[in-house]
Amino acid sequence: MSPSLTLPDHGSDDAPEPDVDGLGRVVIRARGISKSFDETLALDDVDLELRAGEVHALLGENGAGKTTLSNVIAGIYRADRGSVEVDGTEHHFRSPSQAIAAGIGMVHQQFRLIQPMTVAENVHLGWHDTPSVVSRKVLVDRTMRLMDELSIHIDPTAQIWQLSVGEQQRVEILRTLARGARVLILDEPTAVLTAEQARELFGVMRSLVAGGRTVVFISHKLKEVLEVSDRITVLRAGRHMVTRYTAGATPHELAVLMTGDHSELRVRRGAARSEQPLLEIDGVSALSSRGLPALRDVTLGVYGGEIVGVAGVSGNGQTELAEVVTGLRRTESGTIRIDRTDVTDQSPRSFAEAHVGHIPEDRLGVALVRSAQVRDNAVLRQYRRPEFSTWYALRHGSIAEFARRLVAAARVQTPGIDTPTGFLSGGNQQRLVAGREAGVASRVFIASQPTRGLDVQSTGDVQRSIIDRRDAGCAVLLISDDLDEVLLMSDRVVVMYEGRIVGSFEGEEVDRRRIGLLMGGHLGEDDGRGTGE
Amino acid sequence: MIWFAALRTAIDAGTVVVLAGMGELLTERVGVLNLGLEGLIGIGAVAAVIATDLGMGPWTAFVVGMLAAALFGFLFASSVVVIRTNQVLTGLALVLVGVGLSNQLGNDYQGSPIQDRFRPLPIPVLADIPQVGPALFNHTLVVYVAYVALPLGVAFLLYRTRHGMNLRAVGENPAAADAAGINVTGMRLCYATIGASFAGAGGAFLMLAFTPVWAVDVARGRGWVALAVVIFAAWRPFRLVFGALLFGAMISLGFIAQQQNWGVSSFVLSMLPYVVTLTLIVVPAALARFGIRARSTVAPGSLAQPYFREER
Amino acid sequence: MSAARWAGTEGRRLRLERRLLANPRRAAILRVIGAAVALLVSGLILELTGRSAPFLAGEVVDSTFGSRFGLEETALIATPILLAAIAVAIPLRMRLWNIGVEGQFYMGAWASAGVGIFLDAPRPVLLISMAAAGALGGAAWILLPAIARAWWGVNEIITTLLLNFVAILWVGWFSIDIWRDRAAAVIQATPLVGATLPTFPGATILHVGFVLPFVLAVVFWYVFRGTRWGYEVDMAGGNPRAAEFAGINVRRRIVTVMLLSGAIGGLAGMVHLSGATFRLQQTISSSYGLSGFIVAALAGASFIGVVAGGVFIALLLHSGIALQGAGLSVYIVVAVYGLVLVGIAVGEVAARYRLVFGSPARAGSPAEERAPP
Repeated sequence: MSPSLTLPDHGSDDAPEPDVDGLGRVVIRARGISKSFDETLALDDVDLELRAGEVHALLGENGAGKTTLSNVIAGIYRADRGSVEVDGTEHHFRSPSQAIAAGIGMVHQQFRLIQPMTVAENVHLGWHDTPSVVSRKVLVDRTMRLMDELSIHIDPTAQIWQLSVGEQQRVEILRTLARGARVLILDEPTAVLTAEQARELFGVMRSLVAGGRTVVFISHKLKEVLEVSDRITVLRAGRHMVTRYTAGATPHELAVLMTGDHSELRVRRGAARSEQPLLEIDGVSALSSRGLPALRDVTLGVYGGEIVGVAGVSGNGQTELAEVVTGLRRTESGTIRIDRTDVTDQSPRSFAEAHVGHIPEDRLGVALVRSAQVRDNAVLRQYRRPEFSTWYALRHGSIAEFARRLVAAARVQTPGIDTPTGFLSGGNQQRLVAGREAGVASRVFIASQPTRGLDVQSTGDVQRSIIDRRDAGCAVLLISDDLDEVLLMSDRVVVMYEGRIVGSFEGEEVDRRRIGLLMGGHLGEDDGRGTGE
Repeated sequence: MIWFAALRTAIDAGTVVVLAGMGELLTERVGVLNLGLEGLIGIGAVAAVIATDLGMGPWTAFVVGMLAAALFGFLFASSVVVIRTNQVLTGLALVLVGVGLSNQLGNDYQGSPIQDRFRPLPIPVLADIPQVGPALFNHTLVVYVAYVALPLGVAFLLYRTRHGMNLRAVGENPAAADAAGINVTGMRLCYATIGASFAGAGGAFLMLAFTPVWAVDVARGRGWVALAVVIFAAWRPFRLVFGALLFGAMISLGFIAQQQNWGVSSFVLSMLPYVVTLTLIVVPAALARFGIRARSTVAPGSLAQPYFREER
Repeated sequence: MSAARWAGTEGRRLRLERRLLANPRRAAILRVIGAAVALLVSGLILELTGRSAPFLAGEVVDSTFGSRFGLEETALIATPILLAAIAVAIPLRMRLWNIGVEGQFYMGAWASAGVGIFLDAPRPVLLISMAAAGALGGAAWILLPAIARAWWGVNEIITTLLLNFVAILWVGWFSIDIWRDRAAAVIQATPLVGATLPTFPGATILHVGFVLPFVLAVVFWYVFRGTRWGYEVDMAGGNPRAAEFAGINVRRRIVTVMLLSGAIGGLAGMVHLSGATFRLQQTISSSYGLSGFIVAALAGASFIGVVAGGVFIALLLHSGIALQGAGLSVYIVVAVYGLVLVGIAVGEVAARYRLVFGSPARAGSPAEERAPP
């Protein structure tokens, strides 16, 4: 058993010589990095320079190349061209372990943790410092000592699946630091955190850099980047746009650099609302897949011709909300009515027949059959209709016609309607789903994380189809963890926290800061808890 | 009196299943599904027979059997882990190749029993206990190893060593293991091969101790039973031993029924082990759906799924 | 614009690119190539061990194609194999592996033998009853594994496989013991069944059951191409959750599809009993079920492929029988089977790769989000 747990040294550990800007020496210099996948160029001659003692933000849209660049630095990908220097020595990492040995560690969006194993086991996984023979107690003790050294605390005996997302993230950070990372790359760490937890994370980040380390903070969230970083590098479409000090940067300027686009999608408020709500959720409670309460007595009404946006951090019941109003989950209590008709607990097919369209959160898992052709997926929700099939035969002609029209209207880029859907890019798959569901929805439309992971073009198309539905008189429920998107598109905003609706805002009342607080569970004095009528 | 003799038979009959099953347990723990056990047992058996015929002693023949199976196991593993062929199809192919080859090669040895076999090794003192002694403590060394040392060793490996932790990680989430710097391909190749060699050990044992005369289809379905018992054991070494013993008991019951003339057809008795094994798999799953869950019976997360590392 | 961007950089590259899905036609071709390569390798090995492969090949051609009887024999073997293959191909479309088709074959034979021996009725009636019994027998035999899979998630490979052994023993029990034909002392089988399938006019042994697999292949080809049910099964097989989303009851489809598979397997047993063996005996199947399984794997759940593959395997099996006369044992044939299966599996993998010339496109193009995040 090793006597001490002092973290290994990489290079000289003396205090960074303060430069003019208060930051230390250059620890990593990446030059001319280019990388492509299949036929796509993901990084195009990118430079990056990281200094000791700084929080360096990597800012950009989806697909800008931030993660790819970090993966190259962290040894997960090999660059096609370019070099990475660590403390002046050029490296060509062929594996993550080599990068770790050089002091570079990365925490990904999707955690690389083993769910059924404990925190202590995960921390010690694949670590040569771990003794060959271990007992549970030994692992736990070692882990606790690590936690004390790094001031990060979690229950070491808990199994990963039992932990919250924020805690799992901390396990990942702990693991990486334990192996002596002096450069810690965090990929969109706040995507799964509440505002409160994000703030905690920022605190951890700042204390790490105070000790001379470097933290790379990958994000697309302007406000956070401005809040916590010392310098910002903006990437767009695989190219390096700018690297500058955070001090003095404005959101607008950064946004322009990120998107290259000065205009914004202007949402024109559509036609008037219907008299009665088309979608009524009345006192609905439901359990999550783990059996825990996910929705608690939720009441919400959505009128035709309006978009109600549900803001909130993922994991507060939004998934379950979308599922109960589309027939994918049973309620424990309460009723759901579509245009005054009770549809509680009915099958997805009934909901489709009731003209409820649904863009599910998990597009590949739920909405599409990847191995099937585009035409098959196009007609998936409506194939039972007489124009597409009888009990003994499918009408291939009309199905093909329908599919072609759908593909054209939704601007899906595909070689043909016979192409297996898995061959399409993510954006095109989502266009297909959005177009198909918009076709189903003539009364209610549920869009759950509709633009997650999409490029700018696809995002625009999908958002447009949602707005079209609103203009056509549908009651639209938009669930998104991207607050900007919610604010951009909604007529009304409700906030969900821990399975309840904790606030409701309309028109002028929409206050970003208050919404942010509610999302994090800070329920103020005069909050509108409980109802969102 | 007969019940102790039955116990003895049960232990012996179950040994092949323990050996093959423990090997498969390791293989599946790294995420590889090897359906080819039936063929591997055959290969181990025929290799042992041939080795004996060439004048080698029983222990050498035993090792030869293991090595022969290890060779085929390695070929299987390479196909499945490196080329990433479908594990179901490749496993079935291994059964066919193994059974076909072993039947072909063993054909010449039908009817001539092996002379130089394993002898029982009575444990001093314990073997002299009336009734229980001969039943439990008068077996060949391989039996002792299979029922005691092997599960202990495997359990220690899996739960008490760093290497074992890495092994389990590979089976649960190879992407995470890879990211942690563990050699996923190497682990899978290694343990799939080792697992196969255990099945070969089972076959060799069959020839060298249990039924020393070659017969066609010498494995007689025990490879398939081993697969089922691994599922029943929820991938835990000691439960595996228990399941194998249960199977052995069924076979033993069959012998007794014949001896004692219970009037049950030998066909029915032969069916018993399979039916019991089937029940052992189906019933817990059914109960689990009704909320009665013994303990975690979830398979290793990546079982039978090939691992593709994201392009570098 | 792309061309200009790349001017002066390293030129086009040759890459091995892996895709998630394979073009089905390509996959089929590569599977066949894989099987062919395996056969060649087997031939090579046989050569090396002193048996002349060309000679053997000659023997094969002679005995199979050289005589009318040889062709009939091959067709006789092909019938149960093709039926078994169809039986396996149907659930395979839902990614379900019915390796228990051998057992269902046996139980179908047993059930129809029971009807055939003990029921007294005019020939057409008896034959129809036997067919019904055969189908029911096979379906009943797969019922437990089907439910266990659909409701409790139990792997159907192991369950159906274990039942194979039970079925073989069951038939052995009845044919050698319970229903044994005491009159004909030598035979270890049941008495003749009351009705048999007629042979084709002019044929010696080939019975009319031979058309059944072709009829079924066409029927199911249509079902999976042009009916609602076939569409639902395919969707459920491709992604059960999406199918549920579309309102398809996946569990029910699993059970239905498996029962159908079992029924056809049982029917195969009945057809072989009443057309070829005429008595129920322990060895009523020479691994027809297993062969059918391999054919289905080769065909990739395409019914045209099933027919082609079934004929091919029947030839192989018949060759094995013929070659026994030339000194080659049936075990070698089994081992060759195994190699063929490996060849198929490798072909399947190869189908997902392709050699590509290319220069990468620019980032920001519509395909960009396909890059791993």
